[in-house]
Amino acid sequence: MAVVSAETAGIRTTGLTKSYGSVHAVRGIDLVIAPGETVALLGPNGAGKTTTVDIFLGLARPDGGTVFVFGASPTEAVRSGWVGAMLQSGSLPDHLRVRELVTLLASYYPHPRRVDEVLDQTGTADIAGRWTNKLSGGQAQRVRFAAALASNADLLILDEPTAGIDVEGRREIWRAIRAVAERGKTVLFATHYLEEADANADRIVLIARGEIVADGPGSEIKAKVGSRTVKATLPGVELAELRALPGVLGAERHGEAVTLSCSDTDAALGALFGSFPAVRDVEVRGASLEEAFLELTGDEHGDQDAKVEASRPGNEEPG
Amino acid sequence: MRPLVAFARFEVGRLLSSWKFLIITIGFPVIFYMLFLGDRRPGEMIAGTVTWRVYLMVSMCSFGALVAALTAAGARLSGERSSGWARQLRVTPLPAWSYVVTKVVASMLVMLPVIGLVEIVGVGFGGVHLGLQTWLELTGLLWVTALPFAMLGVFIGFMVHAETAFPVVTGLMFVLGYFGGLFNPVSSMPRALQVAAHSLPSFHHASLGLGLLDRQGFAIEDWLVLAGYTLALGLAIVLRHRSEETRGIA
Repeated sequence: MAVVSAETAGIRTTGLTKSYGSVHAVRGIDLVIAPGETVALLGPNGAGKTTTVDIFLGLARPDGGTVFVFGASPTEAVRSGWVGAMLQSGSLPDHLRVRELVTLLASYYPHPRRVDEVLDQTGTADIAGRWTNKLSGGQAQRVRFAAALASNADLLILDEPTAGIDVEGRREIWRAIRAVAERGKTVLFATHYLEEADANADRIVLIARGEIVADGPGSEIKAKVGSRTVKATLPGVELAELRALPGVLGAERHGEAVTLSCSDTDAALGALFGSFPAVRDVEVRGASLEEAFLELTGDEHGDQDAKVEASRPGNEEPG
Repeated sequence: MRPLVAFARFEVGRLLSSWKFLIITIGFPVIFYMLFLGDRRPGEMIAGTVTWRVYLMVSMCSFGALVAALTAAGARLSGERSSGWARQLRVTPLPAWSYVVTKVVASMLVMLPVIGLVEIVGVGFGGVHLGLQTWLELTGLLWVTALPFAMLGVFIGFMVHAETAFPVVTGLMFVLGYFGGLFNPVSSMPRALQVAAHSLPSFHHASLGLGLLDRQGFAIEDWLVLAGYTLALGLAIVLRHRSEETRGIA
């Protein structure tokens, strides 16, 4: 990551915090996104992704910390037409056809893209003449994506852009997002799918319970959170010994059972059997993103501040 | 300015393509007018000032403007805020205030044909005869002074959630209509209700129109009350908007 000054950074935040009542949605986010970068904000539902995105868009005002978008306040950046956004939720206004809606929203921006081109690229050309209230959930999501794309803004902020969209639709959307990135635009998208983040972003910012827990290229993050878990019964062993084994990232004990989160289960299993012949009931399974987050943040029990739930496609819980 | 014009055109276009909206806004005042007109004889007077037929026409113009404002701005704004459309607009370069201003302008624009239609019914069925200049003056007066209704609509849209918007809007329509003396002359009401009517914008709106026709001059009280409502509601909207911006609620 290149060193970027506040003036030239796409987004720059320091010590960002935001609470809603007693819920600490964001607690201390420092982030610099360079122009032209494609960054995924990855985290489970309730991690603070949407609140962070809302702050970047000027929809939420942080309680503490600073945030600059192209050197200006988020509101100024949005008003200047530098930012195109797709929010996580929000239905479309009725009594309007798809093409009219995209055209209307595009017209607010200083240098919008050609509407037909955008409709083609987002797979909405065939529904361009439909009323916006007669669309399926997936179609409406595509239309909202098309509207964001039509802005031709320098920074595109997309909150869960593929939520509720079928596999083919997802592919089209990511293709369009990569095309935008190739034209030198800055793209920030929030997702709770590791695979989507890894496949489409230069860089993944992992966020859990309102904090950044990891930040780096996809391969690095994948090694951390794409981990697998080894469970075994192994009484009376020091957790520190287990943590020292090759391929093991962390270890926890539940009675006689131990759980190891591993970056390399082959190495870990070999070492485990080698060092502890008494080990039994060994079980290997893929860790979910949530478990990986818990491991990374070193806290087994999610606290009240940010609930961590199972991620499932189409889940539209505010993040 | 260009985005604002595009947005205003889009707003009015959307309103006019909404059948439900048109039927309610145009249907209510026209049907009420016909019903109330009933068997009122052409020359029948109310307390020696205006004829029933003129009174009903002006009252239904007021009622129509009120209904248009409350449904065009109130119910729809509330729905758009709840559905997230208002939030989506906030992340475009469209200035935040222009959304509010456009709502006021759009509801003013849809009031005009409603007022006009009631007047046409007044000529066709109510047997109201006025000179061309009086028609123009009456229409202009009723339209311009309906601004507090538009403000009330936007205010309701800001305050009320979509689920409760319909009963609130309907309730307000009939409270302001009935107690404002739009369905029955205030002079026929008990003393306490007459006093109450004088605090309502609907009463003063119709009163201005009737004042123009009975040539008794404009009551300064009418202007003051309507201006007061406009300012108070405008201020309430601005404060509400500001506090939402600060708290970060769209």
